[in-house]
Amino acid sequence: MITIDHVSKTKSRTRILYDVTFEARPGRVTGFLGPNGAGKTSTLRILLGLDSPQSGTALICGRPYRKLDRPLTTVGALLDGSGAHRARTARAHLRWVAASNGLPDSRADEVLETVGLTGDARKRAGRFSLGMSRRLGLATALLGDPEVLVLDEPVNGLDPAGIRWMRGFLRDSAAQGRTVLLSSHLMGELAEIADDVVVIDKGRVVTHGSLADVTGGHRTLEDAFFALTATEAGGPW
Amino acid sequence: MVNLVRAELRKLLGLPTAWVGLVLGTLVAPVVVLLNAPYTRRAIAAGTLTDTSDLGLRDLGIGLIGPMVLGVIVVSSEYTSTGRDAPGARQLTTTLAAVPHRLRLLAAKTTALVLVVAAQATVTTAATLTLTQVLHGEHAPVPAPTRVAAAILYWTLTALLAYAITLITRNGIVPLTLLIINSSVVSVSYLLTKVTDLASYLPDIVGAQMFIRDTDFPVQVPPVTAGLVMTAWIVALLAVGAVLFQRRDA
Repeated sequence: MITIDHVSKTKSRTRILYDVTFEARPGRVTGFLGPNGAGKTSTLRILLGLDSPQSGTALICGRPYRKLDRPLTTVGALLDGSGAHRARTARAHLRWVAASNGLPDSRADEVLETVGLTGDARKRAGRFSLGMSRRLGLATALLGDPEVLVLDEPVNGLDPAGIRWMRGFLRDSAAQGRTVLLSSHLMGELAEIADDVVVIDKGRVVTHGSLADVTGGHRTLEDAFFALTATEAGGPW
Repeated sequence: MVNLVRAELRKLLGLPTAWVGLVLGTLVAPVVVLLNAPYTRRAIAAGTLTDTSDLGLRDLGIGLIGPMVLGVIVVSSEYTSTGRDAPGARQLTTTLAAVPHRLRLLAAKTTALVLVVAAQATVTTAATLTLTQVLHGEHAPVPAPTRVAAAILYWTLTALLAYAITLITRNGIVPLTLLIINSSVVSVSYLLTKVTDLASYLPDIVGAQMFIRDTDFPVQVPPVTAGLVMTAWIVALLAVGAVLFQRRDA
């Protein structure tokens, strides 16, 4: 369960989040939708305790991220890139992360297998393609077998097979009762996997609800999005 | 906490740059003693080198490049970009996701660095002094254990100095360049001692007086005081670095 409650954030004197409030529930895939620069990543970074909000709270299972003990066993997070130092091999990266949360070394090879990187375990992260970097990032998120997944643009850089795999993986995770929150600017993609949708634009949540509710009377989620954000399709954003 | 230190040790020792610092820092002082041996022998024979009590210990200075590299990269590796595809992405995100309690993280990082550098300093000090004894044993007295311990402490504190500065700058290039130039090419700290006596209390100058006796600094600081002054510098800089690390957005 993820609860974002009245979160506001100012960065370099510019207000980037206004009173952002929404929930992501267990057993469901919640899509966090918005154009680039709308505040998706900023919200997720606050949720993960990386950045501090000016006001409001972001809780995971009722607790702020920074108060979680061995957080990887509760939350798996995927942000930009692989999160691994370029000079480190995939396995070495996963092993230090595992050690930090008291997880056995064997988990590194298990998650590498899950994301299909077993053959690249000894390769340095700096030599990974974009798609492989995302897989390594996801492997890191899965180390602690967490009940909550927070993923920023997870399909970015994946090839069609990778996207299909990710979609299946996220659906399965939710079916197993996990809370899945993922951000995306790809509306068609989100409409394929999300149960619930939160739409953010210019730092404000403009609507949230089930996919059907948000799509409402519109033909597609994309139509609904442009109607809600009053942005001209093909406009200069 | 044991897990965190273990993770930080793995992280540090998994970096190729750390091994450059480790190998270079450990070998360079004994090698210099070896290369300088004919010159040192001649100087002793000619009577130009009369005070041999610092022999060996003085040569350790060149190896400080090791702890400097280690102190800097333990922090700067968190801030380097993870790749072209995501220029803003850094290892720090993974680190803080794994260990969100920032002061606990810093405590683990500091411990890992101290363990590695103290081990390195012990090895290189032992090697350098043993070599000095073998080469110039009849002229060089065996240094007192307290002076040897002070030399190891100086190395460790130097690594922590580099670490604290990098924690503040969040970039390794500037502190590493400044520290290495200052310790090898042109010692700005030393030149400053010619301008003002206060420069005698700069961390690198004062710290050396923990174990080097024959110095031409304007103010002679007793070893224990020297250690305390250098430690105070480190504590102050680390405190600033920790407060910034705690408050800044990652």
